[in-house]
This record gives sequence, C-alpha cells and structure tokens, in this order.
Amino acid sequence: MVQINLPENSKIQKGKYFKDKTNSKNIRKVNIYRWDPSSGDKPRIDTYEVDMDNCPSKVLDILNKIKNEIDPTITYRRSCAHGVCGSCAMNMGGKNGLACTTPHSEIKGDINIYPLPHLKVKKDLIGDLDGLYKQYKSIEPWLKNKSISESKEIHQSQKDRSKLDGAYECIMCACCSTSCPSYWWNGDKYLGPAVLLQAYRWIVDSRDEERKKRLEKVADELKLYRCHTIMNCTNACPKGLNPAKAIAEIKKMLATT
Amino acid sequence: MQNNPLSPHIQIYKWHISSLVSITTRITGIINTIVISLLCLWISSLLLGEETYKSVNYFLSSFIGKFFVIGIIWSFSFQMLSEIRHIIMDLGYGFDLKITKITGSIVIIGSFILTILIYLIGRNLI
Repeated sequence: MVQINLPENSKIQKGKYFKDKTNSKNIRKVNIYRWDPSSGDKPRIDTYEVDMDNCPSKVLDILNKIKNEIDPTITYRRSCAHGVCGSCAMNMGGKNGLACTTPHSEIKGDINIYPLPHLKVKKDLIGDLDGLYKQYKSIEPWLKNKSISESKEIHQSQKDRSKLDGAYECIMCACCSTSCPSYWWNGDKYLGPAVLLQAYRWIVDSRDEERKKRLEKVADELKLYRCHTIMNCTNACPKGLNPAKAIAEIKKMLATT
Repeated sequence: MQNNPLSPHIQIYKWHISSLVSITTRITGIINTIVISLLCLWISSLLLGEETYKSVNYFLSSFIGKFFVIGIIWSFSFQMLSEIRHIIMDLGYGFDLKITKITGSIVIIGSFILTILIYLIGRNLI
C-alpha cells in the first residue's frame, strides 16, 4: 500500500560533521546516509567536507576518498568502477545511478548520497535486494528449448538477434526498479522494470520455445499492469536502456495475440 | 531484517516532467470522478424546481464558484491530454526520454491553453 512517510525506526536524524583538515579552498559538502546495525540507533546523515582539488571526477571517487582519508567506517558496495558490474548503484542528488559513472559535477549544491530507495537497509549505503533476485528467479531467465538437442547449435538471424539489443545489456543494478513508485508501493507483487525487461528479453528471443508460457505467466494485474509509465526507470538507467518501452511491448504482445 | 530501516524514497527522489504528469493525472482523475457526481446533482437540481436550480446557479456564478468551475475545466483538460499521451504510449510510441519530456510539457502547457479556450468559448468571447 501507498505509505508516504517513513516508518518510525527509519526516520533520519542529524549525524556527525567532519570538518576539512587539508585547508583546501575548493570544498564540497557531501551528505551521506548512515546506519549501523550493531548500534541500535536510527539512521543519520553524516556530512563530510571533501577537498575537490585532489578528487577525480566521479561520485565513487568521492566515496573512496572519504573512506580512505576521512572516515573508514563508511560502507558501500563497489567493484569494477566502470559501469559494468552494477555494484555501486545508489541514489545521488535525488536520482538513482551508478556511483562510478555519475560525475559529481552534474550534481548541483551539496551532494546527497542515499542507498537505493525503499529497500531494507543492511548497512549505510547497502540495500537488501533479495526480493528483486527472487522475482528475477521467478521469470526463469534461461533458454528453454527442447526440440533441438543440446549438442547442436541454434541458429539465429541477424534480425532476430537485433531484437535483443537494448535488453541484453542490462547489468541488474536495480537502479530502475528502486526508482519506480509502483515498485515502492507494490514491490512484493509487481515485478518491477528490471525483472520485466529481462522477462521481455526471453520472450522476444527467437531461440526460446516457451514464448507463450512466459507471456501467460507475466500477464497479471499486479505483476505487469502496475506499470503506469511514470518513466522513472528509463530516466534512471545508467546503461541508457528503456525498461518502460519493454513493458509496453509486453503489454502490446498480450493485447494482440 | 525485521528491524532494519527502510531507505528514504519519495522524500528524496527527484521529480521530472513524466512523473509529475503521472501523479497529476491520478489526482485529476479522482477529482473528475467526484465532479461527475456533482454534475449529476446539478442536473437533478433542475428536477427539484426553480428555487434549487437558482441557488446552485448563484453559487456557480460567485467568485468561489467560478474558481471551482475553472479548476474543473483545467482538471478535465489535463486528464484528456494526458490520456491521449497514454494512448500513444500504449501503442508503443513515444518512449524515448526526449520525446516523453516534450509530450509531458505539451500536456502541462496544453491543459492551461485548453482551459482558457474552453472558458472563452463558453462565455461567447470567441
């Protein structure tokens, strides 16, 4: 159900203030969401003054700088640092994206960094994505083809292959799903843009033989039709994909077949 | 996981044209359903005789009444344009980010233009 306010244990409090010690003249304030599961306190916002003269261009560089030089207790996920793994997905300046590909020059004013919206927080900037992975599993994201034996190659024309463009590039960073208000209110039932984009990827794959079954499975008032084309997903996607269009295509396929 | 806090969502998420149009469509939709029942009341006031009809008319031509009517016209215009945008989207077009911005702005600006037009036509000024 729609719940605008945060529950009592999630109300954000004012946190610590870390003053700049380098005497730099080019300083930006970075506000970061913090929550420590061992302390039992409510979440807080810590503010860091960061010397921008010695900081590379991306938001992830700021986080690394804070962790290395100011406060080693800050927790966040990161791995590849060039937009391939999807680990460092978070909310920066009010918009979801990958910290490693978002330039901090794009954010005006103080830089606000939160975990992905409407998730149970595990620690600091790490949200719990178990629900999303369960939903991903539920669409059975693997090739189903019984008629051609496993030893034989399955041919695909260039035209059929091009149908997968814009869907196979998804790195499952969850930026889109966690930006979607429908997913916030109905995340337990609505599949969300990330999973529906993957469902679309398997529905349009010419090698897959269970297209009809897949369509039937996803055709559900709550699973699919909670998409109201708010377009937050496409706006947030760090890979420039269009989950909203994929969902519309699934709806269209259901209406025409 | 029971005691873990929920990360902030609508409080911090940035608005953009498409999300604004979407939420306004919902709100105007609710307003319109209420307004349609009010319209029915207005019509049934005709059946109740001259007195009731006059008093309803008196309200509608007062300052607050006019504000009401113009608001309703805007709400209908917005809903109409937004639904046209939705029909186009249901056909699978206009999902490009730039195009959603353009169509969204058309809906917002167009709703005000339509309101003025309908008001002027209704008052026989054009």
